Amino acid sequence: MIQLKTLVNCIDNSGAAIVECVKVLRMKRAAKVGDRIIVVVQKQRNFGPESGPGGSVSISAANKVRRGDIRHAVVVRTKKKYQRPDGSVVGFDDNACVLINKSGEPIGTRLNGIVGSELRNHKWSKILSLAPMHL
Amino acid sequence: MPLLRPPTRALGHLKPSIRRHRAAKRHIRTLSTAPVPTSQLQPHVEGIPLSMRALYGKKTHKRIKAIPSPPSAHNICPTPLATITASQLSVLDPTGARTRLFAKTNPDAAKVGDVLLVRFRSGDPFAGVCLNIRRRGVDTAVLLRGNLTRVGVEMWVKVYSPNVEGVEVVQRRERRARRARLYYLRQPKHDIGSVENLVRQYNRRKAILGTADAKTASATAGKKKSKKNRKL
Repeated sequence: MIQLKTLVNCIDNSGAAIVECVKVLRMKRAAKVGDRIIVVVQKQRNFGPESGPGGSVSISAANKVRRGDIRHAVVVRTKKKYQRPDGSVVGFDDNACVLINKSGEPIGTRLNGIVGSELRNHKWSKILSLAPMHL
Repeated sequence: MPLLRPPTRALGHLKPSIRRHRAAKRHIRTLSTAPVPTSQLQPHVEGIPLSMRALYGKKTHKRIKAIPSPPSAHNICPTPLATITASQLSVLDPTGARTRLFAKTNPDAAKVGDVLLVRFRSGDPFAGVCLNIRRRGVDTAVLLRGNLTRVGVEMWVKVYSPNVEGVEVVQRRERRARRARLYYLRQPKHDIGSVENLVRQYNRRKAILGTADAKTASATAGKKKSKKNRKL
């Protein structure tokens, strides 16, 4: 249940660590897995996950977004449990999202963390293929 | 003499009749009658309008047809829900293995705190600690909690779902849990974390022993493993 002011983890390597939801798009309800939201980057990652430590030069290079940027994002995990058509119910321990550009392509190049397989229903197969695992 | 009557007493002739009427009323007031048996009572025809007099004394209403009550469903099937559950389970779980795995009466049943592995017909298997068992006939479900890519994941799985290929006990809890629902395992202090290693060990052991006696092997192996873990 992602709504206005919710702080969401960002699990891609775009450079954002924690983002805040400012708008749930096309809905009057809280966002679920696969829903598109608008976020403000609140906290940056110190270094890109793949650049490793000691890459002070690559800090700015790895970070494609900066603190205060307004971006679109897709919710990929929610703490709120949701029910599948087969009756099983899935919930994660945190809320997470992936930053995308206006046309819907992910800004980062890799994801670190599991994502919900509801993304397929919402045609986010690109994010699904980037993810290391989906459930 | 009547001629001598003064003209002011023109209504005087009413007086005797009023007096007579009053006496009659007094007589009626003190009248006592003996009770008449109802069989001797004559119909009071005068009070009935002329148009209805012909109908008097005849039974005009029709006899109301009594419809017998429908046969009770209780006689056909005293416990419909239990019957439906049983018939559905006979389809979903023909061998009765899963019913036994989560039966309260079975001492070897899976209990909360055990690490369970659920294999799905579609998709990857899911393993996790069982936090809760919801026994509701065909809707029986287990709540599993596991870690995938260092993120805690909880999943309710319907045990009798056709999508579920099998439920296996990877590791049993050393001691019986003293709670029915182990929701405290969500707290970071108590979180068991990833069960990936346990599942890998279990799968290896199962591959060595063969699939035929995997069920019994899992029970014994689980115990052995738990001892090992305690040492570690």
